Amino acid sequence: MHGKHLISVALLWAGLTAIGELLVFADLFPAVGSHEAEDFDSIFRFLLILGIPVFTFVIAVVAYAALTWRVRGERPAEDGPPIRGSGWIPRIWLAVTGSLAVFVMIYPGLTGLAKLQSSYTTYGWGKEEADLEINATAFMWQWTFDYPDGTQVSLTKGKEVVIPVNKHVRFNVNSIDVVHSLWIPAFRMKIDAIPGRTTYMTVFPTELGAYDEDQSYRVQCAELCGLDHSKMWLPIRVVSESEFEAWLASLKSEGK
Amino acid sequence: MYAVKSVFGALGLGLIGFYLGLGIVAILRWLFGYPDAWGGEINIIGGWVLGVFMWLMGIGMWGQWGREWFGLKTYTRQLPGWQRYFTFNTDHKVIGIQYLVTFMVVFFLAGALAMLMRLELAQSGHQFISNGQYNGAMGLHGILMVAVAVAAVIGGIGNYAVPLMIGAQDMAFPRLNALTFWLVPPVAVGLLATPFLGGIEHGWTAYPPLAIRANSAQILFDLSIITFGLTSILGALNFIVTIIYMRAPGLSWGRLPIFVWAMFATSWIALLYTQGFAAALLLVALDRLGFSFFNSANGGDPLLYQHVFWFYSHPAVYIMVLPGFGLALELIAHFSRKPLFAYRYAVAAFLGILGLSGVVWAHHMFTSGMPNYLHGPFLVATELISIPTGLIFLSALGTIWLGRLWLKPPMLFALAVIFNFACGGVTGIFLADVPTDIHLQDTYFVVAHFHYTIVGGEIFALFAAIYYYFPKMTGRMYNERLAKLHFWWMFIGFNATFFLMHLPGIKGMNRRIADYPSELDPLNLAVSLAGFFLGASFLVFIWNMVYSWVRGPVAEANPWQARTLEWQTSSPPPHENFPVPPVVSGGPYDYGVPGSKHATFPAAPSAGFAGAPAGGGGQ
Repeated sequence: MHGKHLISVALLWAGLTAIGELLVFADLFPAVGSHEAEDFDSIFRFLLILGIPVFTFVIAVVAYAALTWRVRGERPAEDGPPIRGSGWIPRIWLAVTGSLAVFVMIYPGLTGLAKLQSSYTTYGWGKEEADLEINATAFMWQWTFDYPDGTQVSLTKGKEVVIPVNKHVRFNVNSIDVVHSLWIPAFRMKIDAIPGRTTYMTVFPTELGAYDEDQSYRVQCAELCGLDHSKMWLPIRVVSESEFEAWLASLKSEGK
Repeated sequence: MYAVKSVFGALGLGLIGFYLGLGIVAILRWLFGYPDAWGGEINIIGGWVLGVFMWLMGIGMWGQWGREWFGLKTYTRQLPGWQRYFTFNTDHKVIGIQYLVTFMVVFFLAGALAMLMRLELAQSGHQFISNGQYNGAMGLHGILMVAVAVAAVIGGIGNYAVPLMIGAQDMAFPRLNALTFWLVPPVAVGLLATPFLGGIEHGWTAYPPLAIRANSAQILFDLSIITFGLTSILGALNFIVTIIYMRAPGLSWGRLPIFVWAMFATSWIALLYTQGFAAALLLVALDRLGFSFFNSANGGDPLLYQHVFWFYSHPAVYIMVLPGFGLALELIAHFSRKPLFAYRYAVAAFLGILGLSGVVWAHHMFTSGMPNYLHGPFLVATELISIPTGLIFLSALGTIWLGRLWLKPPMLFALAVIFNFACGGVTGIFLADVPTDIHLQDTYFVVAHFHYTIVGGEIFALFAAIYYYFPKMTGRMYNERLAKLHFWWMFIGFNATFFLMHLPGIKGMNRRIADYPSELDPLNLAVSLAGFFLGASFLVFIWNMVYSWVRGPVAEANPWQARTLEWQTSSPPPHENFPVPPVVSGGPYDYGVPGSKHATFPAAPSAGFAGAPAGGGGQ
């Protein structure tokens, strides 16, 4: 009688998992604008593929038990079998959950982290040299972006941050008052701006894009920084290298 | 009406104390030649300290406790009926109900703030409230709900049930217990007064330097939370001593009900880590007075605060959910009519979480700019926590397997805890994993995740416990149809709201904002509507509780046929819980074991006791 229940639950689990895994194909993510975004999306999907069976296992057992063994009538006429659960089942459970945890820890956890922090890969927090370095300064409740040639972009001076495609762009992030956080949803990268120290992040945009077409192309403050926190954002535009040079030149000629 | 007079009297004394404190500091400042003697935040600190002290003296600490220190006779008043809930009462059952009712009121207030926020967020752009009002509402919602989550189950259910479950007459330190509760009203007054000083603009986390530059509501926030930390630490100490020393004869550690084990682990976490938060906020308060711990402009370090803060506030998550897990397992065993599956592994899981909780805090700081070498160890430690958590699921699922599931409202809520926490646990993996956390940190994905764990894991368990203990506490039964209606309404509303809330987070909606890009409009409208649906479900609950407390049918002593000790005495229990002290002779969940008895009452007639078969038995 145990076997029949086990098979039924296994079938229910398989069915729910099949339905749940459809979520992997759902259109969950904002625009993919960079290498980092591709990586984030694939890791997210991978964890989703692993996580859904864990979740559906719990649902399957709870739902099956509640439907199969529910007591009808006013109160239970007898007790259930006194199963203690001190034999091999907990040990197997411990081995399985332990291996799953260690597996996820190593891949995509530590491997992804290593990639992110390594100076040899194309992107991340570890990339020391970049093709373009931009100093980003946060203050209540604005950003300014200083380009190497002296050009400055801020809410008052220029309406958007422009960066070239297929280049390593490094943001050196500072804050002059409270903790802010520089986040570009289209690139899936974020780093806090801490007063008193410089943090940085490097991105490698792979697609052209602009805020007008996709609102995830924006530099957003992600750390609560007081009154106008929700207004602290700027559009960002990714352009080809020649357009980028032209943009810099045009700002120069306007005297900005 | 003595009780009402005494509360008003104590309030008056508290106010006098507050102004006296203000004045004393002002006089000192004037004597030492400071400009503007009345205008400093240090005046508020002086006022708070003296105000809280005099409030406590007025509410009964002087009469029942303080006089003793001066060689005078103490006195207690045994007030009848509802009046005892408004006095310095040392009965753990009274204190449990005081906590529970207080925090349910706070829960509904904070819930109303959530409704206000969802109203504003239903559409992009500004509709109803300003940015400043939004931040104030959000900060207050956050900190009030954290207070509810930390104290409602521990203070309410824990105080009520733990001494009963272990066969004790009361907590180990009854007067300390009463003091712990009566420290709460000043906290509530302090937090609810923050809007009059400009609102909490720094959220519940109070990161400096923002918290140092924020308006004076911040100082009230600090003082309230430090005071609240004091109740948490004193309460935890009391539980630890009670559980170690007050168990009935025969109630060995291996026979302890699982909820008591959960409370034991939780109390250790509260005792060990709460001081971190209190210290962090004390340092913020000092920074506001001109010190420089966290203010980088004068050589402090803002990241230091985040480490100290999360050193408490991540373990605090387990202060919230461990009692929830304990309650869920407890109820699942009783309502499945089976022994708790893998009991020893579940206990090990609680102790394992207690051990690991202290070494995972920096996973809240993956994007904070902390040194790179810290990410790996905290990723590993955080993922490790899934192993003991998995054992709790093993215990729950193993217990319902082949059981006789009695789907009463408490059981429905307990099963929902398992369901919701499974979802919250899976989404936690995305946040423990550094590469995905970089995008998801500080987005609505995090908001959805922690509401799944805290509301789904703990608040559902709180409702399970309220429905479970309602007949014990009041001696009356609630309307079961309304309770089931409440369950399904809340369960569907909750899942609709918070499952949907993951999506704007992934799509790029940051948290703690009054406004967001217009392309997220449809998702946010759906979340808001689901949120209002969820909010409305609590009206059913309030009606059911209030009506049934007054008019409900009289309940039997053991309506659930449970075997644990609290059900072997009358409902409501007499002043010292058991007319005859129990002697424990078996496990708490030995359902289906022929001839097993959890406890006997040696001096009582063997035919049974207060209408319930001693020890429950198979039937």
